[in-house]
Amino acid sequence: MSERKYSVALIDRFGMLLLVAVTAFSLLLLVAPSLIVIAVSFEPRAYISFPPSGVSLRWYSWVMNNHQLTDSVLVSLRISVVVAAICVAIGLPAAFASVRGSFPGKPALNAFLLAPQMIPGMVIGIASLFFGAYFAFRASDAMLILSLSVFCLPFVIRITMARLAGLDPRLDEASANLGAGALETFFRVTLPQLAPALLAAAAFTFIEAFDNVTVALFTSNVRARPLPVELYYLVQFDSSPAIAAISALEIGLSFLVMLLIAKTVGLDRLGR
Amino acid sequence: MSADMAAPLTHRTPFLRMLKSSGIAPAVPALAYLIVFMVVPICTLLLFGFVTIERGRIVGDSFTLQPLMQALHDPLVWRLMWRSFWVAVVSSFFTLILAYPVAYVYSEARGSWRTLMLVAIMSPLLTSALVRAYAWLVILGGRRGILNQSLLSLGLIDEPLRILNTDLAVLIGMTQIHLPFMILPLLAVLAERDRRLEEASLNLGASRTVTFFRVIVPMSAPAIIAGLALVFAISYTNFIVPQLLGGGSYSTLAVQVYEQTIVVLDWTRGAVLATLLLVTCFFFIFAIVTVGARVTRWNEVRR
Repeated sequence: MSERKYSVALIDRFGMLLLVAVTAFSLLLLVAPSLIVIAVSFEPRAYISFPPSGVSLRWYSWVMNNHQLTDSVLVSLRISVVVAAICVAIGLPAAFASVRGSFPGKPALNAFLLAPQMIPGMVIGIASLFFGAYFAFRASDAMLILSLSVFCLPFVIRITMARLAGLDPRLDEASANLGAGALETFFRVTLPQLAPALLAAAAFTFIEAFDNVTVALFTSNVRARPLPVELYYLVQFDSSPAIAAISALEIGLSFLVMLLIAKTVGLDRLGR
Repeated sequence: MSADMAAPLTHRTPFLRMLKSSGIAPAVPALAYLIVFMVVPICTLLLFGFVTIERGRIVGDSFTLQPLMQALHDPLVWRLMWRSFWVAVVSSFFTLILAYPVAYVYSEARGSWRTLMLVAIMSPLLTSALVRAYAWLVILGGRRGILNQSLLSLGLIDEPLRILNTDLAVLIGMTQIHLPFMILPLLAVLAERDRRLEEASLNLGASRTVTFFRVIVPMSAPAIIAGLALVFAISYTNFIVPQLLGGGSYSTLAVQVYEQTIVVLDWTRGAVLATLLLVTCFFFIFAIVTVGARVTRWNEVRR
């Protein structure tokens, strides 16, 4: 009996060790590639080595002086801001209806609002490309914005819905009972409580739109490509440290936005 | 704004009534947006598979089933679909194996360990998939790849390993890139689970290992299924990773859709293959969820 107990304890200990080991490996796997890219971006020579043979900003200045790339960054920034704005503008009221509203067919509405996340980015991209061609408007900034906002809308709706569902509707009722109108209640009671979620949703949408390649590859304007599309074509033919420098800049930007979310809302809000 | 001013306003303007929101009205803009810019485009996509396209215009009345039949009788299409399928299955399985321990350890961790883990889990999610595919290109790449450089200099291997441009490279890339999508649903469920069940199990004399496999894992089965379905879908339709890590001659159904639409510019075939991709993807998700629900119920009965 005591021997059996001993072996059970041994198995438990081994199991725990295995869990922790796999966890450590997974976390390393999650972080290491990005760190390696950042390290490689400081390579002074024209080809990649690890650890880098020195520390130089050669490739960063190469990127900064490449107008095609800097232009594409501007295109991406402009488009992601517009996409985030559209998604919040139509996503917030929609989330309102699907949490607070009562009308027949509400589950169907919720399913439909979140439908774009069921459709692969590539299919949204190609469908938008064909749609644009059929109705005779060319691949352009507008096409890119439309397709990306369809792709990103569920993020805003999901994050806002989660927050709205956690709010106490009695606060709004109290505000109304105390004599505030709908508008005043919305702007002074509901919106302030929603603000963190909205900020997180907007930031997340911005990053998704900024990083997106699966949709953008099909709908972007040939003359004003966004950064990920530009990067996609570069990566196919070249693996010079310049690409690592662009990637490191992209990682840096995402990190800043993540820091913003972490400081204002808390990271764990995003996953839910 | 005083109360007696605001109250009548509510009844006057539709906008204010909309904000008060007990009806469907606030969702109308989003609904209209999705109908025009998602439903109509997808209908266009489906339509394009059954007509002849020239320069983005439909030629006369050329409705035909021929492109679809041609694709269904093409052994290449079936081969590519099979590869997409098994690559997605294997990489979803890998992500589950790697993700579950992370989510479980996170649920047990406290304080700054927890924050640190969360940062590690979330950070790749905010790095573009393209950047991470490029990272694997750098790590796995030929003789100059970081992996081969390190292994060669450590004297562990004499010849550089050939990983890039193989199935293995695609599997590694997909698994790592999709790992956060598996961790997050598991994390949400495991972190908020009812711990009294496992305490009961331990009190009744079960070992920690038995408790883990017979109480904790079955309890999180719905999250496992949700994660598997999600990761399967994004792996099945990923064309970036196979293209970059599989090499020029490596193709899957999704890669073929991209090539027909953007490189070959055969939009009819592109539309047919995209439709096949979408339909089969939905079918497989449906299968995963259905089988998953049955397994979960079976577990409940057994318990």
